[in-house]
Amino acid sequence: MASIAIPASLKIACSSHHVIKKQQSQAKPGCCFGAKQATHVVTVDVEGKRMLNIAEQQENASVHNKGPKGVEGESEHVMDTGSSVPKLFHDARWKNGTWDLNMFVKDGKMDWDGVIVAEARRRKFLEMHPQVSTNQAPVLFRSSIIPWWAWIMRSHLPEAELLNGRAAMVGFFAAYLVDALTGLDMVGQTGNFICKTGLFMIVLGIILFRRTKDLGNLQKLVDEATFYDKQWQASWQNPDASNGTSEQSQKDYYADADKECQECEMGNMGFYGN
Amino acid sequence: MTSVAFTAHLSTATTNQKSNEFRRETLKTFVGLRKTTPVNHHSISLTKSLPNRQFNRSLRIVAGKSSPKVTGRNLRVAVIGGGPAGGAAAETLAKGGIETFLIERKLDNCKPCGGAIPLCMVGEFDLPLDIIDRRVTKMKMISPSNVAVDIGQTLKPHEYIGMVRREVLDAYLRDRAATAGATVINGLFLKMDMPEASNAPFVLHYTAYDGKTGGAGVRRTLEVDAVIGADGANSRVAKSIGAGDYDYAIAFQERIKISDEKMTYYENLAEMYVGDDVSPDFYGWVFPKCDHVAVGTGTVTHKGDIKKFQLATRNRAKDKIFGGKIIRVEAHPIPEHPRPRRLAGRVALVGDAAGYVTKCSGEGIYFAAKSGRMCAEAIVEGSEKGTRMIEEGDLRKYLEKWDKTYWPTYKVLDVLQKVFYRSNPAREAFVEMCADEYVQKMTFDSYLYKKVVPGNPLDDIKLAINTIGSLVRANALRREMDKITL
Repeated sequence: MASIAIPASLKIACSSHHVIKKQQSQAKPGCCFGAKQATHVVTVDVEGKRMLNIAEQQENASVHNKGPKGVEGESEHVMDTGSSVPKLFHDARWKNGTWDLNMFVKDGKMDWDGVIVAEARRRKFLEMHPQVSTNQAPVLFRSSIIPWWAWIMRSHLPEAELLNGRAAMVGFFAAYLVDALTGLDMVGQTGNFICKTGLFMIVLGIILFRRTKDLGNLQKLVDEATFYDKQWQASWQNPDASNGTSEQSQKDYYADADKECQECEMGNMGFYGN
Repeated sequence: MTSVAFTAHLSTATTNQKSNEFRRETLKTFVGLRKTTPVNHHSISLTKSLPNRQFNRSLRIVAGKSSPKVTGRNLRVAVIGGGPAGGAAAETLAKGGIETFLIERKLDNCKPCGGAIPLCMVGEFDLPLDIIDRRVTKMKMISPSNVAVDIGQTLKPHEYIGMVRREVLDAYLRDRAATAGATVINGLFLKMDMPEASNAPFVLHYTAYDGKTGGAGVRRTLEVDAVIGADGANSRVAKSIGAGDYDYAIAFQERIKISDEKMTYYENLAEMYVGDDVSPDFYGWVFPKCDHVAVGTGTVTHKGDIKKFQLATRNRAKDKIFGGKIIRVEAHPIPEHPRPRRLAGRVALVGDAAGYVTKCSGEGIYFAAKSGRMCAEAIVEGSEKGTRMIEEGDLRKYLEKWDKTYWPTYKVLDVLQKVFYRSNPAREAFVEMCADEYVQKMTFDSYLYKKVVPGNPLDDIKLAINTIGSLVRANALRREMDKITL
């Protein structure tokens, strides 16, 4: 398969690099590559550059081949940048690395919504087709130029309306249920500590769990926040408890590491194996 | 896409968690390990509060004083691995009067490495200034949407990040250790036999090359009383003591020789590219070396895609490295966190073997050298300059001191990585924040001097508000982006 051909060809290039490296390091020149080694460097470099071009084209081809089963969104963008002239971001209002705000005036007022949408478009385009970062055409636009109320009116208010709507609906039915079950009416419920706690938990839940995936995300966040601490404190724990299990996981680890190393063909590139 | 990477990373984390069964609440005492010395039986409880991290250990270690005197000779210690950690450890041991053996498999090894050392390392380790090829005083951070921010204006004239060649640095530290009295052995460590009795020596098996390259080597053994494992990320010493595994990142780097005029741009400037195209959980870089640049990237979660990330990094820097020739391709593992067991008996791990690489920046050279030195100091102190046998308790002192000194640094960098390398909006916010002068000053101060210094509280509050503002804006833009289909 094409993806194996690239590492193989790079391996050949790399092993010749290694040979060159040995000679040079023994010579110990003042800087890395002394003049007398120039001829060796030149021949290898040309080969390296050719390898580089071949690798790029083959890489694009192989990524494209892998498209159906593996990388979906990525394959098109690699094809774009590799095969023909790379697509550049074009917009009439994007001038000299920043948005020309004069072009966003609507009905005599500044249309910040338009600026937000335009910037989102630009970032989306760059995410799909990453571009060269040049010093000649630097990006000067900073999103802090958009005033805070524009963000609130566009992003925060609709969501706030949604959440308030949910809270109102849940609150109404909760009040009805509690009244039916306990006989406490609205005024009575607001005086009761348990009811107030319940109300607080409901509001918190509505704010935190907005989409179904939030449930899993929050649990992962908690785990993540404490995981690094656990890793550091492992040295201070009872060695017998961790020893037995660590032997097993160690075997798995070395097997996995070997597998991954083979996958990315790192064997020749400076890994000293076990 | 990023949430998938995030989930994948966490699923490996949770499986590790389950298999290793970390229990923080109840920790048993270390009574069983100490057979010869009296010890107070107290249960150890580690406090959770992170800002003032103190280990409430009432375990009194009186090991050194009552352990038997080593008669007729000095304590023998072997340091496996001759990188920064090994060289620093061997030098400190030799200066402390201990018979030191430094075993290194390849004396001219050009370890693939970023090669950046902080300013404090030059002072603390008395490095001569000609070791440093380049002084980086400016950095450019480039966001996914190519917003480029220059940092380094707050640096004083005498402050810089030093770029070194690993072969030069390692050789210098080793030679200094040899001058101090250590025996440098050119050999490959194979395995070690654990001591049968409590004060019996370790028997190390190694293949001696004696400077001959390509030869088969002679198998030899060496008896020592203690071992310092400084043999890097794939440490054999760690395997011998069953230290456990760690997650690791792959760093892939190409050395590219560019034309002289393009090289002047990188005279004392390093670049950092962030973005999902460049790496899902790390960054891509262009670091200047002595006469070429190193362009690379790294990742923990998507190791199989590393070549794609490398292509993307080269693409982003294409303008500035155009026409360059690749002269070397290299890759190396970077530990993400310390191994579960960093010492066992009279064997301690230091440097990459222990997993002392920071998150966020991936810096390892300084911490390797410092941990080597700290461990050696603990051995010298515990053995009273080589006159007494040491115990595990003496080595635990090194772990304690290390964790206490550098835990805040590691934790802060971990939090930064979790918050700012998470997704493209977070990276955009990160680059925006870096434009702030206060951030630059704090970052460089903590990087160059390795001290997490709390700044002016008012500025801290302003910084916190700005950070939250940036993150909110970036995420709001992300939501807009999701609504658009191009």
